[in-house]
Amino acid sequence: MIRNRGAAVVAGAFALTLALSACQQGSSTSGEGGGGDGGSSAADGDAVTLTFQSLAGQEATIAETQRLVDEWNTANPDVQVEIVPAAWDGVYDKLVTQFNGGSAPDVIHFEAAGIRPFAVDGYLADLTDYISEDLRSGISDGVWESVTVDDAIVAYPTMMQSYMVFANTDLLEAAGVEVPTGDTMTWDQLREIARATTRDGVYGLGWGLKSPTATVMSLGLGNDGTFFSGEGTDVEIEVGDAELAVPLAINEMATTDASIQPVSLTQSGSEVLPSFYGGQVAMTVQGSFQATNIAADAPEGFNWTVLPPLEGSASSAQSANPQTFSVNVDSEHVEESAAFIEYLMEPENLAALNYADALIPTSEQAREALAGLTADQPGWDQILASGENLTAPAFLKVDLYQQWNETVATPALQRYLAGEIDLEALRSEMTDGWSQVNRG
Amino acid sequence: MTTLTPTRPPGDPGGPGTPGSPETPGGVPRRPRRGTASRAQRTEAAALVIPATLPILVFSVIPLVTGIYLGFTNSTLRRNSTSEFTGLENYSRLLGDTFFWESFRIGLIWAVSVALLTLVAALGLALLLNADLKFKGITRVLALIPWAMPPVVVAIVWRLIYSPTAGPLNAGLEAVGLEGVNWLGDFSTALPAVIVVAVWSGIPQSTVLLLAGMQQIPIEQHEAAAVDGASSLRRFWHITLPALRPVIFAITSLDFIWSFNSFGLVYVLTEGGPGGKTMLPMLFTYLEAFTNRNTGYAAAMGNVMVLAVVLVLSGYLFVQLRRGKAVQS
Repeated sequence: MIRNRGAAVVAGAFALTLALSACQQGSSTSGEGGGGDGGSSAADGDAVTLTFQSLAGQEATIAETQRLVDEWNTANPDVQVEIVPAAWDGVYDKLVTQFNGGSAPDVIHFEAAGIRPFAVDGYLADLTDYISEDLRSGISDGVWESVTVDDAIVAYPTMMQSYMVFANTDLLEAAGVEVPTGDTMTWDQLREIARATTRDGVYGLGWGLKSPTATVMSLGLGNDGTFFSGEGTDVEIEVGDAELAVPLAINEMATTDASIQPVSLTQSGSEVLPSFYGGQVAMTVQGSFQATNIAADAPEGFNWTVLPPLEGSASSAQSANPQTFSVNVDSEHVEESAAFIEYLMEPENLAALNYADALIPTSEQAREALAGLTADQPGWDQILASGENLTAPAFLKVDLYQQWNETVATPALQRYLAGEIDLEALRSEMTDGWSQVNRG
Repeated sequence: MTTLTPTRPPGDPGGPGTPGSPETPGGVPRRPRRGTASRAQRTEAAALVIPATLPILVFSVIPLVTGIYLGFTNSTLRRNSTSEFTGLENYSRLLGDTFFWESFRIGLIWAVSVALLTLVAALGLALLLNADLKFKGITRVLALIPWAMPPVVVAIVWRLIYSPTAGPLNAGLEAVGLEGVNWLGDFSTALPAVIVVAVWSGIPQSTVLLLAGMQQIPIEQHEAAAVDGASSLRRFWHITLPALRPVIFAITSLDFIWSFNSFGLVYVLTEGGPGGKTMLPMLFTYLEAFTNRNTGYAAAMGNVMVLAVVLVLSGYLFVQLRRGKAVQS
C-alpha cells in the first residue's frame, strides 16, 4: 500500500508540474506578448503587418474600407494593413476575449461608449501625441472628451449617428399630412403626424425599442436629461422629469394614442424596416445609417423621406456616441497603427467612409467634404443638419455605464414600455439599480 | 466479502505483463517473489494510468479547481490584473444581490419545468414508438432529429417560428381567426415560450433512454398481466412505470442539471429579455463575467449554482433511494 501511494504521489507531482508549466506558458503569453498573436509579426523582410479589425457591415462600407486599405498598402510597402472583418453583434464580448487571450488586433474599430471599459482596464494605447493639429482642432472638444480616459485620448472618433424619423410619403399624403419642412420638428408634431396616419390598419409609427436605453439616453439630451453627473467612478445619477420625458412621450403615443405599432416596441430597429417597407407603419425612428439600407432595400416605387431632427423641450441635441478607431496597447507597432488611422481620418477618406454608411463625420473638414459630395441626394441635408446638434453626453464619462445599461436600464425600460411598471417604478428601478451596480 | 479474494489465481500473481522485471531473481522463496511481482504490477498499473489521468487533470480537474478558487478572489479581466484572496467577501455581497436571486428563481422554475415536461413528453413519445406501429423505423429516426441540431441552430429556427410579424406560428393563428401573440416579446409568454423550445430539443435524448428501458421489460410480465385482465393503463402503471424508475430518475436529474446550467439556447432566443423575464442564472453569470468583467464575483455565482444543484439533487436522490429500498423490502 505504501509503495502504491508513493507511486501515486510521484505521478501526481509529475502531472501537476506539467499542468503548472502549461498554465504558466499560457499566462505569460496573455500577459506580455499580446499583440504578437494579432499578426503584427514582421512579414517579408522589414515590412510590418498591422491587423485592422473592421466592423464595416454594409456592402458599400466594406468596399470603401477595402479601397482605402488597398490604397494605403500600395503607398506604404513597409506597413501592410490586413483587414479582419467582424460584426457589431457581440463585438464587445469578442474584444473581451481577444484582449484576455492576447489575440486582439492592432487597430480596433468600435464606439466611444463601448471602448471605454477597455481603456479603463488598460488595454488601449494613449494616442494623445500622435494626433495631428488639424484633426485636433477640426473635432469639437466635447467629442474628444468622449474618448478621453484619465487625460489620455484612447481613440480617434470617426463617425456619429443620430436618430432620424423616416417617413413613407405616400401614407403621409393619403392621411392628408403635410411633410414638415422646418429645421427641426417638435415631439408634438411627431405625435400629431403619428395620430393622423394611424388608420386603416396602419400604425403611424414603428419604433424598434428592443434595446431602448441608447435611444432614451440620446434623445433625452434634447430635454436636458443627462442622467449622470461626474466622471469615472465618482458619479451621481439623477432620474428626473427631464430624463423621463422621452419614455413618457413614447408611452403616451403607444397607449393613449395607440399610434405606435406595439410589436415594434419589442423588435430591433432593423426588424421594424420590413413593416415600414410593407406599409404597415407610416414612419419609423431609426439610426441615420439606415438611410443606406432603406435606399438599397426598399421595394420599387417606395417613396420615402427623412423628417427634420426631433426637438425636445430644451434643444434638438442628441448624444454623440461616435464610432472609434483605437490601438491595442500591446501592439508592437503603435506608431504605425496611429499613422494608418491618421490616414483614414483625412477629410476625403473620412467623408467617403461616412457617406458609405450614411453617418456624420466627426471632423469639420470631413463634414464639408461630405456636404459637397451629397449636394443633391435625398435625406442628406437633414442627416447633416442633425449632426450639428450632436454633443458629448455625460454617460460616456461613466465607467460603469455599460453595466448599468445592460443589467438595469434596459430591462427597466422594457418593463415600462410593456406597461408592466409605471413611471415612478421606472425612476426608482433606474436609481436603485445604479446603487447596486456602483457598489462594487 | 470472502467470495472475491479466492477467485484470483494464486499461482499467477504477476499476470502476463511482468516479464522484464529486473529485480526478480529466479528461484526465490514464494513470499518475497509475490511482493516484488505485485510491486512491479503496481508500477505498471501506474504507468498505464498516468497517461490517462493527465488529460483529465489538465483539462478538467485543474480548471475546475481554479474556477472554484477564483470564486474566493477579486479577480477581474483587467490587463495584467493580479487577484487577491478575499475569502467570503464575494458571497456576502452575493447575499444582497437581488438581481442574482431573481435570476436564480427564474432558473429554478425553468429547470424544474423543463425536466418534468421533457419527461412527460418523452414518455408519451417512447410509448408510441414502442408500440408496434407502421413505419416504426422512419418515425424513430424522425424523432431523433432535434437531437442532431446544435442549440444555437435550434434557437434561430424557433426565433423565426415565434417571429411576431413574419412567423408561421402567428400566421397559423391568424388564419384560424385568432390574434397573433408576440411570443418572445411579451412578458407573460416569454418564459413559457423558451421552455417549450428547451423541451422540444430535450425530448429525443430522453425518448431514446426511455425506449431502451421499455425494451428491457420482459414481455412475459405484460402477457401475464393481460391474461389476468389488467387494462393497458394498469399495465403501464404497475409494470412499465416501476421498471422504468431508474431510467426516469437518471434522466430527470440530468435534465435538471443541464437545464439549470444551459446558456446557448436562451442567449440566442431572448438574451434574457424582455425585462429580465428569461434571465437564467447562467446568463446572469455570463454578463457579470464578460460585460462587467468581474470574473471573481462571477465564479462565486458559479460556485453557488453548483452548490444549489448538488443540494437539490441530493434531496431528490435521498427520497428516491429510500423509496427504492421500501419497494425492494
